[in-house]
Amino acid sequence: MRFRVRTAIALTVGLPLTLSAACGTTHENSGQGGQSGTHTACKGSGGHYLIGMSQANLAGEPYRQQMDDDIRAAAKGVPQFDVKFADAAADNVRQQNDVDNYLTQRIDLLIISPNEATPLTAVVKKAYDKGIPVLVLDRKVDGDSYTSFIGADNKQIGKQAGEFMADTVLPKGGKIVELKGLAGSTPAHERSDGFDEGIAGKSIQIVATADGDWLREKGQQQMDALLKAHPDIQAVYAENDEMAEGAYLAAQSVGRAGDIRFIGIDGLPIAAGGIKAVEAGRLAATFVYPTGGSEAIAAAKKILVDCQPVDKKQTLPTQLVTKDNAAAVYKANGGS
Amino acid sequence: MVEQQAAEKDNSPARETTARWRESPLWRPFRPVAVGGGTGLTAMLFRFQSFFGLAVVFAAAVVFSPTRDGTILFLTSGNLFNVVRAVSEIGIVAVGMTFVILIGGIDLSVGAVVGLSAVGIAVLLVQNGVSVAVAVPVVLAVGAVFGLLQGLASVRFGIQAFIVTLAGLQIARGLARIWSGGQGVAISYGDGPNQAPVVFSLLGERTFGGVVPIPALFFLAVAALAVLFLRVSVFSRHLYAIGGNEKAAWLSGVPVNRVKVVIFGISGLLAALAGIIHAGQLNQGSPNDGAGYELDAIAAVVIGGTSLSGGRGSVIGTVTGALLLGVLNNILALNDIDSNIQLLIKGLVIIFAAGLQRLRPAR
Repeated sequence: MRFRVRTAIALTVGLPLTLSAACGTTHENSGQGGQSGTHTACKGSGGHYLIGMSQANLAGEPYRQQMDDDIRAAAKGVPQFDVKFADAAADNVRQQNDVDNYLTQRIDLLIISPNEATPLTAVVKKAYDKGIPVLVLDRKVDGDSYTSFIGADNKQIGKQAGEFMADTVLPKGGKIVELKGLAGSTPAHERSDGFDEGIAGKSIQIVATADGDWLREKGQQQMDALLKAHPDIQAVYAENDEMAEGAYLAAQSVGRAGDIRFIGIDGLPIAAGGIKAVEAGRLAATFVYPTGGSEAIAAAKKILVDCQPVDKKQTLPTQLVTKDNAAAVYKANGGS
Repeated sequence: MVEQQAAEKDNSPARETTARWRESPLWRPFRPVAVGGGTGLTAMLFRFQSFFGLAVVFAAAVVFSPTRDGTILFLTSGNLFNVVRAVSEIGIVAVGMTFVILIGGIDLSVGAVVGLSAVGIAVLLVQNGVSVAVAVPVVLAVGAVFGLLQGLASVRFGIQAFIVTLAGLQIARGLARIWSGGQGVAISYGDGPNQAPVVFSLLGERTFGGVVPIPALFFLAVAALAVLFLRVSVFSRHLYAIGGNEKAAWLSGVPVNRVKVVIFGISGLLAALAGIIHAGQLNQGSPNDGAGYELDAIAAVVIGGTSLSGGRGSVIGTVTGALLLGVLNNILALNDIDSNIQLLIKGLVIIFAAGLQRLRPAR
């Protein structure tokens, strides 16, 4: 107790001194703020640049972890870059605060993969209006107050998945089920619409669809029920690899893993990812959904170091992964 | 047993007990209930525990703040306002939570009510074309009624507040999903159909006088009203009396049930206000908004020195508790501390604050 009291005295006396000293410093220097308000983004190769990467959510989303890792790896190759990372844990308010904190830290460029479009639009615009180049990854924001959007085309990938299903997996037609991502999310819509386009005019019949919320366990639960209701299905289209793996487990538990074929999307180059699942024969195919991480650093280099303009929209191509090329793709995409 | 104890302790008729409260240090600023125990500095320290905590964290933030071009980034006005704005919603919710905890209760539904009212204001303004002057009171009323019903259920059926509000959390989330159709309702501004009145956009990025964020003004106003309320109303004495010893309060003629119901109503009302601000800040009302806010609010209350067993605590403490968490969040982020480590640090701070309470000299 005595110790505590003494500490308290020290704090009581010391604090006001520290605070007043600190405050003095700020007031003297406050006039120097505001340089970031001007358009001086590019300082050439001699400059040093602070980049802020605001990620929507890392926990439970390996794709987003991969995005951060890709950015980290690519930034190693640019000595002028110092990249900071923030994880908003799927919380719009937190992501707003993350960007605000980056602005406080006076970053030279913002990379953001927004949790949701509308809630993050204002703060992205705020950064952009301050003259900070903004690269938006994977998910969009409203309006056009950003420098460049980098992402893959979910509809196009869905379409390719549909074509692969119709032409390669079930060339004679057949019955399938579709496991969708989180209801209401844009990629779930687009991957579904694209798939429908891909199988249009072919004799593929989707006998049931279910929401798997992008999750392995949800995919498994839904597939358990679907197998009871539709025992005659021949293939599964899951809008991501996690749900495809869950569906595989459900089929395995009733001895159907051998005769049902599974298609997923994402193809992450990690041990638990879709490419390895294809290599191991659990999935018939997956489609790589690129993170855009290395492309973002390339664009940042173009803007800050090379002083060149970048395209407002950069659409990343997908890649079909089958058993034949799985090992090679895994290696090429940086898997270890 | 309890009645006996209470009778022994008071040893006087009910009316006199009430009169004694009036003369007791109940009216002291900041901490209306007597802290008692130690004297001098020790007592002072515990009485203003959360202030010292905030001062320490603030000082640490200044010391450890990154600097750029010689400026201490933490102390830039923009950053300090970011801190206040970031805690405003939780702070408003936490003020209501303080009342509930003061009577020995808990309200787990507040986060879900934030989501419900964020959805409510968005749907009313955007889809139903209702004016702000109507939509805001309606949503506030929805929150208040939701709280009142929870209070009623708790009192009427003798169910613990924890259980009632746990159920309330589920119900409010369900209602939010139904009301919104399961999706976030985007708010765009203008005069056309499916657009919200421009005046509502004031709650967003807009600031008062170019600097002070609007949510912070609401937080300030709510906190000030609550402090005033706890210092001048008869209700406040009832509140502390119930929290101190519910049975004794009842025996002393305190309308225990009525007070409880009203307190839950206030908590619901404030959660609804936070939800409206939330929707304004995000230009969207989403049914999943406000998830986990109840826990952040409880953390702010606990760090503010309010006892979870009721009867001891203050709104000012809660406000400082919320600010302490805000400053902590901010300085950890400014220093690029890994978000997983941030969780650990915040957890330890809460344990530390709660531990300090245990050390406080007994009444």
